[in-house]
Amino acid sequence: MLKIKNLHARVEIEDAEDKPILKGVSLEVPLGEVHAVMGPNGSGKSTLSYVMTGREGYEVTDGSVEFNGEDLTTMEPEERAARGFFLSFQYPVEIPGVPTLTFLKEAANAQRKARGEEPISAPEFMKAARENAAKLGISNDMLKRPVNVGFSGGEKKRMEIFQALMLQPKFLILDETDSGLDIDALKVVAEGVNALRAPDRGMLVITHYQRLLDYLTPDKVHILSDGRIVKSGGPELAHELEREGYDKFTGEAA
Amino acid sequence: MTLPVKLSPIEHGFLRDLSASGSGWRAELREDLEARGLPHRRVEEWKWSDLKTALSRVESGQVPLTVSASREPDERRAPGDDDVMAGVMPRLAAALGGDASLYRLERQDDVLSLDIEANAGTGHTLIVVDVAPGISARLDERYAVTDASLANIAILVRLGSGARLERTIEQAGSDDGVLVVTSRIELGTEAGFKQTTLGFGARLARLETHVIHPGEGAKVSLAGSYLLSGKRHLDQTTLVHHTGPNGETRELFKGAAGDRARGVFQGKIAVDRAAQKTDAEMQHRGMLLSDGAEIDAKPELEIYADDVVCAHGNALGAIDDDALFYMRQRGMSETEARALLTESFLAEPLDAITDEVRRDDLLAKLRTALEALT
Repeated sequence: MLKIKNLHARVEIEDAEDKPILKGVSLEVPLGEVHAVMGPNGSGKSTLSYVMTGREGYEVTDGSVEFNGEDLTTMEPEERAARGFFLSFQYPVEIPGVPTLTFLKEAANAQRKARGEEPISAPEFMKAARENAAKLGISNDMLKRPVNVGFSGGEKKRMEIFQALMLQPKFLILDETDSGLDIDALKVVAEGVNALRAPDRGMLVITHYQRLLDYLTPDKVHILSDGRIVKSGGPELAHELEREGYDKFTGEAA
Repeated sequence: MTLPVKLSPIEHGFLRDLSASGSGWRAELREDLEARGLPHRRVEEWKWSDLKTALSRVESGQVPLTVSASREPDERRAPGDDDVMAGVMPRLAAALGGDASLYRLERQDDVLSLDIEANAGTGHTLIVVDVAPGISARLDERYAVTDASLANIAILVRLGSGARLERTIEQAGSDDGVLVVTSRIELGTEAGFKQTTLGFGARLARLETHVIHPGEGAKVSLAGSYLLSGKRHLDQTTLVHHTGPNGETRELFKGAAGDRARGVFQGKIAVDRAAQKTDAEMQHRGMLLSDGAEIDAKPELEIYADDVVCAHGNALGAIDDDALFYMRQRGMSETEARALLTESFLAEPLDAITDEVRRDDLLAKLRTALEALT
């Protein structure tokens, strides 16, 4: 169970005063469920994903993020990763000179080491890589290339899901995973995400539009506006938003 | 008129050791040393590498270098006028190093390795390597200068026409040692010369390479990686002089400096009027790992021919914060992520080494140094 309680956070801006972005977000995602956070630009969606994963430059001023009873709020990003937190980035980073599989193997073993587990064997890792790549239509050549270097926007998003399949996290945060995807790529990515649904795994899908949700069918939808959850409901809320726009809900925040 | 410089004990020591009776380049060296002393920061070519100051803790007095070579030299002889290159340091190496060691690489796939060490006083040597026309050979060098000492080495490499030489240089890290290696590479037509260095710096280390490039299908590649920590200093200075047409040169240097270390790259490509159709490219990329570190770079093109393709680039940066967070989000510690990013950055110039064993050996040394850095 993920519990976000009254989370306040601000972002550090160089040569300026810190700017408060999250102003009391409360949210619970039980294991096995998929929740969506929807909100207009500037509502704090990406900040929420970065605060949950411990990015530098985002300061929690009040409240907490708990996962399975453990407070993560002050943990380093890698400590959260070892506890199973995975962020599918809105803009996946290119890392020249580091082949994708080398990167993933180092990451997987760093997580295992932090959890006191044995490193993954090379054959076991390669077998998983082949199977997961096949699910997402990722070629051998793509796996050999440096992380995300030279990939299109859609390919990068597919690689994010591939990484999730390889690392088998306990909690996934998808930050605008649908942005930059055409309809075919969206289907492939959604299938990958659906393959990750499991009774012991939670997901938070952060998005501006409902179109990814058509393929994922969330258990709950939360609307984020000006740093607060202003409304929560079932999957039908996403359609209501799509029909009527954000204005109706963001007004309620005032 | 310039005022006479105040000579340091080490400079006095060199003057004492140089015989007063010498003529030609020996007499010039003596005059030069008396009038200007050793190179220091007010000499343009040494502005970022103050050799004179770096030597302040080195005791005057000659102690021969320990040279371990994979085989005996083919000849030892007093340095002739043709063996001596311009400059105070290579001339000192020739004048004070005793007999020069001459190696002839005449068999296909000949490998010569030279391991040179110093740990006290000042030591000099001149080494001449001749590569016979048409053969491919390798020259692997390793320098380790420890404690407050100076190792001053001059290396003259002559490649016959169509000869190929792959040279690698490993400069072991040292806090107190001072190392100067001055090389002059003379290429025949159609010859190929490829040099790759891996350096970890010293109190001051200068690897200076001059290539006389005749064009005429000859190809030159100079590459190097450096990783500096503490207060170490490494200067890589290159001059490639294209004297004839249709020559190719590629240079790629990448380095990282942490703590209060200092990296210096000076690269010059000179193209004579006769060197039409020269194709030359030089790149240097530096990465600063801490606020106290410094990297100075001076890429220079001096072109007198009008039909050439010459380019140079220089960029300085720090570790990408976005990449760092991305890697940590996937589970790597900050230390691991930094090491992997730095390693991938620095490994590129070493990837060009043809011999797999030597390449893996240097990559492993780079990795070990990165692990120690953290």
